[in-house]
Amino acid sequence: MAGSYFRGIWAARHFWVHLAMSDLRSRWRRSFFGILWTLIQPLGMTLLISFVFSNLLNTPIKGYAPYILSGIVVWDFVAACAVGGSLSFVQADAYIKQYGHPLAIYTLRTVLTNLVVLLLASLGLVIWVLLAMPENFGWPWLAALTIFPIVALIMWPTSTLLAYVATRFRDLPYAMTLILQAMWFVSPIYFEAKAFRNGKLDFLVDYNPLYHLLQIVRAPLLQGEWPTAENYAYCFGLIVVLSLIAWVCGRRAEKKVIFYL
Amino acid sequence: MSTLISLKNVDLCYASTAFKERSLKTALAKLFSVGKEKVEVQDIKALKNVSVDISSGERVGLLGHNGAGKSTFLKVVAGLYPISAGTRSVQGIVRSMFDLSLGFEPDATGRENILYRGLLLGLTPKFMRGIEDEVVAFADLGEFIDYPIKTYSAGMLVRLAFAITTAVGGDVLLLDEVIGAGDANFMVKAKQRIRELIENSEVLLLASHDFVTLRATCERGLVFHHGELRFDGPMEESITTYKRLNGLA
Repeated sequence: MAGSYFRGIWAARHFWVHLAMSDLRSRWRRSFFGILWTLIQPLGMTLLISFVFSNLLNTPIKGYAPYILSGIVVWDFVAACAVGGSLSFVQADAYIKQYGHPLAIYTLRTVLTNLVVLLLASLGLVIWVLLAMPENFGWPWLAALTIFPIVALIMWPTSTLLAYVATRFRDLPYAMTLILQAMWFVSPIYFEAKAFRNGKLDFLVDYNPLYHLLQIVRAPLLQGEWPTAENYAYCFGLIVVLSLIAWVCGRRAEKKVIFYL
Repeated sequence: MSTLISLKNVDLCYASTAFKERSLKTALAKLFSVGKEKVEVQDIKALKNVSVDISSGERVGLLGHNGAGKSTFLKVVAGLYPISAGTRSVQGIVRSMFDLSLGFEPDATGRENILYRGLLLGLTPKFMRGIEDEVVAFADLGEFIDYPIKTYSAGMLVRLAFAITTAVGGDVLLLDEVIGAGDANFMVKAKQRIRELIENSEVLLLASHDFVTLRATCERGLVFHHGELRFDGPMEESITTYKRLNGLA
């Protein structure tokens, strides 16, 4: 059963790749900077935040700014997949009502679109780090590349799960914004991990999958080190757990989604 | 002749939770408006105990009043709706034309949209390039094929959609009241096309209110009435039954 579901996804690959590409095309249509906005947006935000925070928290801006940028880039992907993903089925209702493609292709489209944005945005991060901390460059940077498949494999089941629920309960996308803000607030995304540790909130770092996910980029780029096995263990654990939940939920919900559109 | 479509004692139920208003507003309104009885929304049984066998080469017309279950029946055959009871078995590739503007990108040209719609149907870009010229010729839109399709008229869209959907073939073709939208010239071609598809031993299911089209294209008729299949037989008798059931004759 799982096999035939994924065969269906594979068979429709031209379709969802096309959908993702057309999303990207329409996103930047008729804007002057076009695709450059994926670079400008996080960079501008980083400049602003790091200026304020480095003065506020007395942190040297040189190391702090790339820290923030890495947080923004990854977090933007997670947030865009969660909010956009939860609306994936509702958005694709015309397709769902006419063709029985596996529904996960519509969340895959959202994840794929945002993955391209993430790829472009990380270019900005890499260039920044190369200029500001060239001494960090080395083999561990290869590990940073694993962030792309890992974060995609985390967010695909997540957004699929959210899409099943959001199709039935349309309040979810609104609630999502609130949930994401809460998650952002308790995670070392913009705030440094040591700020949490100083406040005796170690558990928000050590048991926080978001921290471990971000370490996959931060350890190599910002510290010139390999991510730890624990970092990867948390990420893979998260992938397995979320996939299982999405699968169990999908077995019950997949066929019924069409009635709720 | 092999049986392509086989439905046995099929029920289909739309759960009322799917369309009942569940917003906070209604919940609050309910609290404060005592005494006012609102119409209770109930589950809809769209298909009741429907059993049909359809073999290859058959052209079947679906008749029935609005809401009789024609479209639901087509969507069950297409595998879009999960049935509540009974068994469904459909062999072969199903091609459906329910929503014609679907899968079209308004800013892309007709030619690009041929590719996009093909991808939606699960075909490969390579295959679509192979049949592109044939589709363009059949749709016969002249220079408009290279214009963005937001400049098209409704009839032109139908022609393009029909040309693509029927060009890629399939074992089971499902049409829902779309056939009548082209102009007279195109209708002749469309009918010719459908005849060719049938000759390649494929099944056509056509839901329509147009007796002329039904008589011309289908020899077998299914009459639906409030979700029940009331008659299954030759088209002429189906039309008579339909008229009798709806008090038209």
